[in-house]
Amino acid sequence: MSCSPFDVRDYYFKELAENERRLTEVHVKTCAHCREELDRMRGTEIALLALPDEEIPQRIGFVSDPVFEPSAFRRGWEALWSSAARLGFASAAMLSVALLVFSLTRPAPQASAPSPAITRAALETEVSKRVNDAVSMAVAQSESRQARDTQALLAASDRRHALETQEMKVRFEEYIEVERKRQNATMLASNDAGSPTGDVR
Amino acid sequence: MIFRAVEDTDLIRKACRGDVEAYNLLISRWERRVYNYLLRIVANREDALDLSQDVFLKAYQNLRKLDDPARFAPWLYRIAHNEAYSLFRKRRPEGETEELQPETLEGAATLGGNAVFPVELTLAVSSALHKLTADQRETVVLKIYQGFKFEEIAEIVSAPVSTVKSRLYTALELLKAELAPVKARGVS
Repeated sequence: MSCSPFDVRDYYFKELAENERRLTEVHVKTCAHCREELDRMRGTEIALLALPDEEIPQRIGFVSDPVFEPSAFRRGWEALWSSAARLGFASAAMLSVALLVFSLTRPAPQASAPSPAITRAALETEVSKRVNDAVSMAVAQSESRQARDTQALLAASDRRHALETQEMKVRFEEYIEVERKRQNATMLASNDAGSPTGDVR
Repeated sequence: MIFRAVEDTDLIRKACRGDVEAYNLLISRWERRVYNYLLRIVANREDALDLSQDVFLKAYQNLRKLDDPARFAPWLYRIAHNEAYSLFRKRRPEGETEELQPETLEGAATLGGNAVFPVELTLAVSSALHKLTADQRETVVLKIYQGFKFEEIAEIVSAPVSTVKSRLYTALELLKAELAPVKARGVS
């Protein structure tokens, strides 16, 4: 069980952060137990380092042989796929080229092909025109019907007026005849009263 | 101070463009370290050399997949780790967990014909290392002999940092116990 604020073995291998290292260093100066631990670590390491590195029995080297060398295309291809950055750049470049080719080869927009805004405006105009025509036709038909009715009423009135005039004329003639007869009768009566013997002639 | 006129990253970029000489220079900087890493894992010089050649061949074939040339070392050791464990699987019969028997590395006690460390200690260390599990031994090799940080070791062996630390500290406790009698005899 370590009494150090941090593992003295990490401290020994210089694996602590700077502030941790300083705190442990202060502790180790005053802690005999941790100093012994460090001494044991040092002793073990020194013993292990008694096993020296050996020289390699045979040097390793490669010769340049074009037969075994990957082609420039293959090297580039492998380099492209082995790097996300290169692959991303290549994708962006391909997209740019595709956009450029599309913009250059795209057919010109046709004049007869109206834009959605134009189609909407024309449609509204057509609807308005048709509504106005329908209203005009309805008004014309109504006026025509009213004119015919008026004409018929006038004709009927004229006929009734003619009949009434004819009837009044007949009645007036009858009245005149009755009056003439009555005056004749009165005249005859007065004549009879002015001559006592009778004949006035 | 080690002065390198050309950085590894420059050599890697040249090698990616097909410059074999640049790659050979890169190999010359790393072959000894990779060979010794493999030697301490597989405990056989011939296997370690064959694996080293395979590692550098595979690294060359896949060098263009290395996104960050600054991460070359962990990436190279990752390939070496895979090659070593592939050999373990080939050599190990189905279901058997016992590890490869190490060859005697008496030669490790000398370097250029001159004695560098006492033979007894060198043999004791070699023997103690091979009493560890393969995972523990590899972690010790990567930390003590190759000097990688915990995060890099975790990347190489595909394990969490906490697992790497646990393997290392357990292994060091075992090694300390194994080597204590030798050190007690005053050989250190």
